[in-house]
Amino acid sequence: MTESPLWRQAYDAAERRVTPHADRLVRTPSFAVGTAVLRRAQALARSSAEGVTARAWHLLNLPAGSDVSRLRTQIGALDREVRRLTVQLELERRRPAARQPDAEEPHAEPADPPDGAGPRPARRRTQRPAGA
Amino acid sequence: MLDRVRRDVERNARRARNGIRLAAGADRPGVGQTPKDVVWQRGRTQLWHYRNDDVRHSPPLLVVFSLISRSYILDLTPGNSFVEQLLAAGFDVYLLDWGEPDDRDAQNQLEDYVDDYIPAAVARVLERSGTEELTMVGYCFGGDLALLHAAHHPDAPVRSLTVLATPVDFRHLGPLADVFASGRLDVDDVVDSAGNVPPQVVLQGFKALTPVAEVTRYVTLWERLWDDQYVAAYQAMTGWSDDHVPFPGAAARQTVRMLLRDNGLLTDRLVLGGDTVHLRDVTLPFLTVRATRDHIVPTAATAPLIDLVGSADKHELALDAGHMGLVVGRTAARTTVPTIIDFLRRRSDDVGRASAS
Repeated sequence: MTESPLWRQAYDAAERRVTPHADRLVRTPSFAVGTAVLRRAQALARSSAEGVTARAWHLLNLPAGSDVSRLRTQIGALDREVRRLTVQLELERRRPAARQPDAEEPHAEPADPPDGAGPRPARRRTQRPAGA
Repeated sequence: MLDRVRRDVERNARRARNGIRLAAGADRPGVGQTPKDVVWQRGRTQLWHYRNDDVRHSPPLLVVFSLISRSYILDLTPGNSFVEQLLAAGFDVYLLDWGEPDDRDAQNQLEDYVDDYIPAAVARVLERSGTEELTMVGYCFGGDLALLHAAHHPDAPVRSLTVLATPVDFRHLGPLADVFASGRLDVDDVVDSAGNVPPQVVLQGFKALTPVAEVTRYVTLWERLWDDQYVAAYQAMTGWSDDHVPFPGAAARQTVRMLLRDNGLLTDRLVLGGDTVHLRDVTLPFLTVRATRDHIVPTAATAPLIDLVGSADKHELALDAGHMGLVVGRTAARTTVPTIIDFLRRRSDDVGRASAS
């Protein structure tokens, strides 16, 4: 094993001294407050800039970025519901097929597919051990 | 003396060459190269089936990955791959990869993953493999998803559960997590226009864990820049540790509220889809693997897990490794992966016996 160069030894010595202080610093309440203030300031600056540009676009009767974001969020929510229903439907379709060999009534009608009325699919309840 | 001068000249030439390559982003090592097929897909989520002509154990393995990083860490490079080792040991391996969330995933909650995607992936694995159950392996936050799934679906066809570097005490996840936990910062303060927590925020959170290490890594790189092997490993490892994916906004809000502020996994205050969920309902054979030098998920965050699950057959493996060292590198190849394989093998059938039964 070759010995590390002098500059590296010096760095390592400095690192050993600095590391505990730096680790302590990032765990202080002041650091937490600083981080929070910085993040909130960034968010505020961003939303203010968006507000100004949105007003400008609206004056021209054009949609602003925030309008597009809102639409994207709504489409995203819809996309999620469709995805969840599709997954749930897939599971329901597989379940009767998997149960068929052991089923007592092989001609029984399979479960109806979800009609999409409710966004939350049915769940299996948590089974608690007896006496718990 | 002459040898030393010659060596230094050679090293400096290689240092210059590797430096240019690094700066240009050329010669990036190929990651995630083990041959696989996408066997199920929904939204950004994909279920991968790794090809293996020599399957000797049943049931198949389903690896559930974390929501905030990329899954190629489990298949980093040829010869340095967790998945490769599992395949070589004769397992039939599937991996559930969440992909890169975008604005369509901003409303995704933990229930989407725990109650929809994981059960759907489980059903697909069973359908494809023709078995009646499978073995589940969860990595990092994927371990939490696997735990929540096992607790919320105690009748799921899962034979055993192994989790790696899985936090349960969220008070120890570092400065940025503390800022969220204390209520000084809300998820809404950091979400981007897509409604997700951007990867940069996740990355800053990790970097804040060891602020000096960030400088040290460049110092070490400069020192070892002449070493082609080191540079390749550096590119692969740091490439992964800097390469995060957005955290879906709704899931992030739920994580902050339920897992960070309530510390729900530890305090038994978990609610999924309106149901109260208890980790003591996890009663299947269980292995938790934690790294004692893990600075991302410190040992204080992972250690309580073994006492929280209700399994009679439960084991804990604490290894002298870092977060990534659990699945890649020499410690993983020598200790972690063989131990996991041994645990899984003991709870598996050989293929001849499984097909006969």
